[in-house]
Amino acid sequence: MRISATLPTGMAALLFEAARRRRGLEGRMVEELQGAGYSEVILPILDYLEPYEPFLTDASRSELYRFIDRDGELLALRADFTPMLARLLAPRLPSLELPLRFFYRGDVVRYQEERAGRQREFYQVGAELLGLEGSDAGLEVLRLFLHLLSMGEARPLRVVLGFAGALDELLLEAAGSQPVEELAAAVSRRERGGVGRGSPALRHLVETGLPDSPRDLGPRAAEKLTQLVEMRDHLAAEFPGVGLALDLAEFANQPLDPRLPGASGGRAYYDGILFRGYAGHRGLPVGAGGRYDRMFKALGAEVAAVGFSLDLERLLNGHAPRPASAAAGAAAGKEAP
Amino acid sequence: VIRLALPKGRNLEPTLAAFRAAGLELAGVGGEARKLHLHLPGEGVEVLLLKDWDLPLYVEYGIADCGVVGSDVLEEVGGDLLVPVRLTDGHSRMSLIGRDGTLPEPGTQVRLATKYPRTARRWVAGRPWGAEIVRLSGSIELAPLLDLAEIALDIVQTGRTLEENHLVELEAVAPVAPCFVVNRASYQGHREILNDLIGRLEAAEVAV
Repeated sequence: MRISATLPTGMAALLFEAARRRRGLEGRMVEELQGAGYSEVILPILDYLEPYEPFLTDASRSELYRFIDRDGELLALRADFTPMLARLLAPRLPSLELPLRFFYRGDVVRYQEERAGRQREFYQVGAELLGLEGSDAGLEVLRLFLHLLSMGEARPLRVVLGFAGALDELLLEAAGSQPVEELAAAVSRRERGGVGRGSPALRHLVETGLPDSPRDLGPRAAEKLTQLVEMRDHLAAEFPGVGLALDLAEFANQPLDPRLPGASGGRAYYDGILFRGYAGHRGLPVGAGGRYDRMFKALGAEVAAVGFSLDLERLLNGHAPRPASAAAGAAAGKEAP
Repeated sequence: VIRLALPKGRNLEPTLAAFRAAGLELAGVGGEARKLHLHLPGEGVEVLLLKDWDLPLYVEYGIADCGVVGSDVLEEVGGDLLVPVRLTDGHSRMSLIGRDGTLPEPGTQVRLATKYPRTARRWVAGRPWGAEIVRLSGSIELAPLLDLAEIALDIVQTGRTLEENHLVELEAVAPVAPCFVVNRASYQGHREILNDLIGRLEAAEVAV
C-alpha cells in the first residue's frame, strides 16, 4: 500500500534542518526569558470551551476547532495561550506571590481559509507579567518582546505601538449616522474615502497614525500618548535595529468605551498598551501583545497583566528576503504569454 | 524603491490612466510591452504585472509593497491589506442577475452561479431565501440563461451584455472599483513615499 506524505491543509512537519533551526531559536529565546526571571508553565492542548466564551469575537470563534468529547463535553483545541493562562491563574491569584513572571511555548491551532502560506498550526513562544502596576510593566514586557524579535533571522524589523481605546472619542464624534464599527474598520485599513472629510482630526490620524494634537484624543488618551512617546523614545535608543513607530490607526478596532461595540479581530481582550511586530516584508505580524487587566477582571480577579506571543515559524520561514534587484532583473526578461 | 503590482489585462489601462493623472508616468508599462517586471528607477518604482486574483497574495507576502486590485477580487480573496484609496472606473457593480425581474421568494432555495462563492455565501446569509452556490470561472450570464442556475452574482458594467442575453439586473449588491492596496509592513517602512503617492491619487480626483 502506498501512503501519501500529504498533511492536512495548514499543517507542516519540520524535518531535520528545519527542526534544528526551530529548536535553536526556541532555545535562545527560552534562555533569554529565564535570564530575565521568567519561569516556564506548560499548558494542555485541549480545554472546555465554556470558560472562553466571554472572550470570543466573531473572528476568533470562527477560528476555533471545537468538538464534543465522548463523554459529551464541548471542548476546543488551544487557539490562544493568554485566555487559558488567565482562566487557570485567576482563582489561584490570592495564593501567588506577585509580581509573577512566566513564559510558555507550544502550538496553537486556528482554522484559516485555505490560502498559500496560511498555516493552521502555529508554534508560539510567549511571556506574561502579572501584578506589576504602572507603565514599568509595559516597558519590561515590550523590551523583552524586542529582544526576542531580534533573535529571528528576518529583517527589517518593525514594531508598531498604540493603546486600546486611543481613538474612542474621535470615532464617536466622527461617526454621526455611520455605524461606528464600520468607521473603526475603515480607519484600521486606512481607507481615506471611508473616513471621509467630515473629521479632519480622524483623517490626519489615518494619514499619519497620530493626531495633529494629542488634545484631539481627549485628556485621558492624550496623557497615555505622551507616556507612550516617552517609552518609544527610550526603547528606540536601546534597539536601533528595530523601527519603532507609534501608530494609533493600526489599533482602531480595539475600543474601550462601553458605548462602542466590542473589539473586532482575533484577540479582543486588551485594555492598555498594544504592540505588533513585523519581520521582513510580509504584511502579517510575527508577534503581538499588550495589557489585558480586563480579562482577569472578567474572571473575578484584580491584577495588572501584560504579555506577548511570537510565532516562530513566521520568524524563521515566512519571511524570506525579497529577491534582490539582480535576481529580479533576470525575471524581468520574462515575457507575457 | 517601491514595488508596485498592477493588474494585467483589461484593468491595466484604466489603472495606468489613474497613475498618470497622479503624476506617475510608468513609461513602458502597458501598450505593446510584454514585460512582467519592469524597473523604472527614474520614477522610484519597480512594476510587477500580475493576474487580478494573484495580486493580493503578492502584496500580503511583501513581494510587492502595494498594488491595484478590484474590490470584487479583494472581497473574495480576503487578506489583511490596507486599502487607502478606491479609484473610479465608471459604474461597475456587483449585481444579482436573472431571467425575470423578481428576486427569489422568501423561504425558497435556488441555485446561484458566480465567480465569487465566498462573497455570495456571505451575502446570501442575510437573505430570506437560501441558495446553493455554483462556482463558475467565466461566462456567468449563461448559467441563468441555460438553467444551470436560477440567478447569478456577477459584475455589471454597462448592462449591455445583460440586454443582449435577455437578462435582468435584479439588485445591485455593491459598487466595484479598483483599489490601491498596501502591505501593512511596507506602509510602516515607506510611509512617506506611500502617503505621497496616495495623496497624489486623491488630488488627481481619480479617487472616491
